Amino acid sequence: MIPALEIMFGFIALVGGVSAALILDYYGKLISLGILVAGVIPFIVDRGYLDVAITVSLIAPIATIFVLRVVRRADA
Amino acid sequence: MIALPLVAVVAVVAALRATFERNTARKLPYVNVLNFAIAASIVLLRDHPLSLVAAAAYFVGSTLEANAIASTYAGARNQ
Repeated sequence: MIPALEIMFGFIALVGGVSAALILDYYGKLISLGILVAGVIPFIVDRGYLDVAITVSLIAPIATIFVLRVVRRADA
Repeated sequence: MIALPLVAVVAVVAALRATFERNTARKLPYVNVLNFAIAASIVLLRDHPLSLVAAAAYFVGSTLEANAIASTYAGARNQ
């Protein structure tokens, strides 16, 4: 991967992490977590760990759905 | 060769717009754009048969995540 691409995907992951820390809304926090995972996945693929990328991209949404049930209960 | 940087630029713009959007419901379309761009970049990064499976898995997972957040948010607003 060329350095410009590394900077761009790293920037996406960084933006997701910083906004997940700073945004106070519950749903906004979960959306920022999705942006963070989206920035991390290309680095896993670039190293060639495609099985790890498959596993992460299938398990991360399940974790989000479980957290979403907690958010629904706290919000109601 | 130009496709991968182009897709990465689309992903960066979508991430920035999703982050700086005030309305939570309006963040979700930009997150979908980001997810499509990342799925495309997974395919373009590696020339390997398994990268197709990885892109399909990421596409399915991220769409499920965004739609779960959207439906829960809509249900919470309607109550």
